[in-house]
Amino acid sequence: MRKKSRLINTTLDITLIGLMVAVIEVCKMALLGLPNIELTTFWIIMFTIFFGSKILFVIPVFILLEGCMFGFGIWWVMYLYMWPSLALIAWCCRRQESVWFWSILSALYGLFFGFFCAIPYVVIGAVDGGIRSGLYAGFTWWVAGIPYDLAHCVGNLVLMLVLYHPVRLVMKEVQRAFR
Amino acid sequence: MAEKKKINKKLIAGIAILAVLVAAFAIIFSVFRAKPVEGSKAITIEVVDKEQKSTVYDVKTDAEYLRQAMEEAEGLEFSGTESEYGLMVDTVNGLTADFSVDGSYWGFFVNGKYCDYGIDSQPVLDGDAFQIVYTISIAE
Repeated sequence: MRKKSRLINTTLDITLIGLMVAVIEVCKMALLGLPNIELTTFWIIMFTIFFGSKILFVIPVFILLEGCMFGFGIWWVMYLYMWPSLALIAWCCRRQESVWFWSILSALYGLFFGFFCAIPYVVIGAVDGGIRSGLYAGFTWWVAGIPYDLAHCVGNLVLMLVLYHPVRLVMKEVQRAFR
Repeated sequence: MAEKKKINKKLIAGIAILAVLVAAFAIIFSVFRAKPVEGSKAITIEVVDKEQKSTVYDVKTDAEYLRQAMEEAEGLEFSGTESEYGLMVDTVNGLTADFSVDGSYWGFFVNGKYCDYGIDSQPVLDGDAFQIVYTISIAE
């Protein structure tokens, strides 16, 4: 009889989820001083590829922790859709094994991060002064942050190129152990 | 072999798309970024020296007071002594006026009228025409 699939089966799963959140959070803190150089993108992609549905618990816990530590500002609203979107994209492409594929995907995600993060500003601007005003507010906010998006793009590309293969090997071992 | 070529083509296409997007973002930033705005007040500062030679400085500034506007005027040099009323100007463009020697001083005018304040407190309004005139006291 086929074992019924559940998102969380054991305390081991809960531990794994906790560890994944801890890894993301520790790396984020370690790189906090560098503008838009982060490993969150890398880890969310890797965890989604190797642990699939468990990422559904990792991301909300991570976002909640971020809010508790840094306050629930407008950036927090952006996190609510940015990181789940990345996990969704990674899950759709999970069969890909090319380091270049994941590196380019990470780079594109970094490049468009500010563009999609401008959405709340469009909404706020539109509520205050109509759709034209909202689009203007979002556009100016996005343009002002483009240098940071470019840094984000390059950072994500390099980090994925460097870390993908070694971390993939370790992930395979962890995945095997947890099975 | 054919498979490898196909992968290489995809890789090159991916890198090319990324490079084009990065360039496009850089162009968008350079075109639409907020550019520093020139000063919102346009004023003139005219220096009239000992030989009645006039030099006019057009200044665009956000300065609230004359001293800052004078500091922003390209080519205008001035110095003096600091006092509780601000800077007492005695030298402008290398020419020193010494009241104790020949009764000379630098007179400051705004829109044709003598300035009511020292240069640290003289307000600057859009369109103001300042004059700094080498003057010799009639009493001397």
